[in-house]
Amino acid sequence: MGPVVFLFIGFLLLVAGAVLVLATHRMRRVCSWLSFSFVLPAAGCFLYLAIRVFTQGSIAMPAPLLVLPGIGASLTVSIDPLSALLLLIVAIISTCTTLFSVKYTLRYQGESLLRYYPFLLLLFASIVGVVCTRDMLFFIAFWEIMTLTSYALVVFERGNTVGLKAGFTYFLVTHIATACLIIAAIMLYIRTPAPHSFAFESLSASLGTLVAAHPGLAHLILALFFIGFITKAGVLPFGFWLPDTYPAAPSGASAAFAGTMTKLGVYGVVRVFCEILPISHHSYVWGQVIAAMGALSIFVGTLSALVQDDSKRLMSFHVIGQIGYMLLGIGLGVFLLPINPPLATIALISGVFHLLNHTMYKSCLFLNAGSILYRTGTRDLNKVGGLLRIMPFTGATAIIASLSIAGLPPFSGFSSKLLIFEASIIGGAGSPLFIVLGLVAIFISAVTLASFLKFLNTAFFGKLYAEGGIGDPKDVPLSMKIPQGVLAFLCILFGVVPLLPIRMIHSAISSILPANYSPGAGSLFGTSMPGFSLDQGQGVFGTWNPLWALIAIAILFAFGFLISRAGVARKREAETWYGGRDHEVEHVRYPSHSFYIPFKQLFSFTLGNTKFEGMYPKSFGLPKLAVPGGLKAVLDIDRWLYYPFVSGFMRLSRRFSRFHVGIPQVYVLWIIMGVIACIIVLFLLPAN
Amino acid sequence: MRFVIGISILNLFVALVLSPLFEGLARKLKALVHSRIGPPVIQPYYDLLKLAGKEDLQPKDMPFARFLPGICFVTVAVAALFVPMGTGRAPLGTAGDSMFFVYIVTLVAVSMIMTAAASENPFAYIGASREVMLQLTVEPVMVIALVTAALNARSFGFGDMVDWYYFSGPSISMIIATISVFLALQAQVGKLPFDMAEAETEIAGGLFIEQSGPKYALLRWTMMAKQVIFASLFVQVFIPWPRTGNLAWDVPIHLAKVLVLVAIISVIDSVNPRLRIDQAVRYYLILVFFSLAGIAFAVIGA
Repeated sequence: MGPVVFLFIGFLLLVAGAVLVLATHRMRRVCSWLSFSFVLPAAGCFLYLAIRVFTQGSIAMPAPLLVLPGIGASLTVSIDPLSALLLLIVAIISTCTTLFSVKYTLRYQGESLLRYYPFLLLLFASIVGVVCTRDMLFFIAFWEIMTLTSYALVVFERGNTVGLKAGFTYFLVTHIATACLIIAAIMLYIRTPAPHSFAFESLSASLGTLVAAHPGLAHLILALFFIGFITKAGVLPFGFWLPDTYPAAPSGASAAFAGTMTKLGVYGVVRVFCEILPISHHSYVWGQVIAAMGALSIFVGTLSALVQDDSKRLMSFHVIGQIGYMLLGIGLGVFLLPINPPLATIALISGVFHLLNHTMYKSCLFLNAGSILYRTGTRDLNKVGGLLRIMPFTGATAIIASLSIAGLPPFSGFSSKLLIFEASIIGGAGSPLFIVLGLVAIFISAVTLASFLKFLNTAFFGKLYAEGGIGDPKDVPLSMKIPQGVLAFLCILFGVVPLLPIRMIHSAISSILPANYSPGAGSLFGTSMPGFSLDQGQGVFGTWNPLWALIAIAILFAFGFLISRAGVARKREAETWYGGRDHEVEHVRYPSHSFYIPFKQLFSFTLGNTKFEGMYPKSFGLPKLAVPGGLKAVLDIDRWLYYPFVSGFMRLSRRFSRFHVGIPQVYVLWIIMGVIACIIVLFLLPAN
Repeated sequence: MRFVIGISILNLFVALVLSPLFEGLARKLKALVHSRIGPPVIQPYYDLLKLAGKEDLQPKDMPFARFLPGICFVTVAVAALFVPMGTGRAPLGTAGDSMFFVYIVTLVAVSMIMTAAASENPFAYIGASREVMLQLTVEPVMVIALVTAALNARSFGFGDMVDWYYFSGPSISMIIATISVFLALQAQVGKLPFDMAEAETEIAGGLFIEQSGPKYALLRWTMMAKQVIFASLFVQVFIPWPRTGNLAWDVPIHLAKVLVLVAIISVIDSVNPRLRIDQAVRYYLILVFFSLAGIAFAVIGA
């Protein structure tokens, strides 16, 4: 069997865990720890596999695991470096989120955990299935399991009507997206040669002939794939469901969604547009579409995040924005594929690198928001403050993750954003569209920073405050600290040693591109170990080497320390001076919604009846379907048959009832008048 | 290697040791505009020395808060190593390019904002909020100007930009970028009419209101160093002439250019009133669109 057996062990552990947890009814602690004890070895298997693939090359099973001869689908399992990268992500995120959930789920006393852990484990199992199969039918099958399990997690809290409603929208929208995938897959499938097949290779060949023979149809198929994937990834405008859905799930699950599930949409885009779509004019066109959609998401998603005061909703809007960065990098890469192989490789790597980094810091931020929720019981940033005093560890990880997402050196977001900017500006020298998109990305990077400074300044800095009261004024339990610590550590690691993940991603990207297409990592990124110097074959155009910067920082920090001590100033701890008056905390704190008001007003406007806050409609209603008036009237049988008949009959009987006045004289009068009428009629009739 | 260490020391000397002198000259000039005699030129050194020995008040049980002013100082010193100062080469140019410089300078602002936020004074928060809004609109101007240069030079390295501009001479795109950066300088160094983050008469020092003793000294020093660093960036990348190729001449010429620029900044500072933050935000958003024209010209090669 070879090393691929570890994949099965890991997968079966997750499924077995999901089933066995069902036996631990009512034993909440056992249920949690049992789930974790299944996830941990499974993650170990995936981690081993990922490392093995990166060091020794792809693993593929010689024979398919399961064959459906009737429809030509076979469950072929293969782990190339791109799958391995996703496996690595799943391994890290599944361990961290399950461990975090152990104590976190104690919050939900009224809910049965049997509606949480089994679905969480199945979610990870289905994600592993999605990334390791090379057959479109099974890909979609696992995709569907992933959608259903995530739906179950979104509607976990039964009392939360907003969450239930968001869950329904999520269910509907993702199923439309899956339908797009199925239609696209079938359209390709029926054009494969005689024994039809769903394998990626044959779909790719069939798409290749379509691109040459029927370009329009090929565009349609690509559009369906694109919509199917980016709806799941949450790219605007198809990702409108995301900001309502992610906050509804428990924080551990939100972190798992943001860390793994969202990424699979991007993974799908990379698979389809780099591997299944042969390099052609279509890549050139679709690269621009992908990048433009990415930039739209960056712009609208992040500006909307700036006006949010709900911590998890704020993070969710940033998911949309950050996915935009990945698509910008990948779109640029796909666009350049037919033109400039070195720069295309750099751009694709930049997008996937951002995916990896985003996984770490966004999951960490969701866990931070979860920790705040766990301690203070609220997600509203207006109602908390100064938590760094009681939660220094959570605060420190939140600071690291926030600076990472804002793209500040030497944290991880910086390296990938730098690659995306510089590739889009240099690539844009031939196509000005990408310069504009790159500038949008740079501007929004500052908005991201502003948004997270707001998060840090309100939740962690300032005066200690929690409107609902703080149950236990200390940091979260150890089992919640470890996941945050691990993720924050990875943010720093990928920030100071960017060449390590770049090498891994380079092998992933070059494995899905045609052989000998992309130049080696050494010629693109240089060989000086921790950092990189970008070179597309015409001289170095951008550099970032953390080693020298860190050495400089270390030396200068020592220097700064000496200077601050040189004056031998006395130190004293003191309360802040508010003019000597008695005060309540509410009077002297600066709440979240007060931040950036003039700037927020610039990006808020009213269009028709919809109020836009930060470029995003405040209340997002689906457009109501209206049946045309005429058709409605025809279909409404009550209105034109039943009601007229009934009301006519009623009128008639009411008219008759008027004769019944109940006075005998009137009845006698009626009889006499009737008799006279009869006599007149008899006289008038001709006698015969 | 010896060259790198040499110019690193030169840059640190200019940015840290000479920056109070520039500030002192600027103060003297400001006094002249106001028809005052003004403090002696080396007054900023006295200020720093005095502050270094003053009592240091710290917010109660706030972890990390006492390191933050130090981080401001360190990041600004690191930023000094990534700009060229008269030599045409940034000392650590092989380790980080102009985009890295933009972000390390942002990191200076971020640590300053966190310093303010750690103090739990609402005035400090107002100052922080204003500083962020100003950064949000000024940073794009800076970036667009640097991207214009990068597009022309086909590289993000400061060394390549300086060389390209020195040899190819003025062009429309670079002139537009130069004007944009010049208009953005006043906000970058926190001078009137864009000093609303400090605004002594309005929010009592804003960002710095709760700082005292050595911490305040480090923050003031950071602001002075920032002024010299931005002035150096401007006169090196956007006005690279004259250059002799001999460092013994180039460095003094560079310092003279920086001095002239600091004088101009100081004159603007002394004759202008403070704008409101919403006015400043609008001003810079318009400037963003103006600077985009530079990119358009750079794309068509003008």
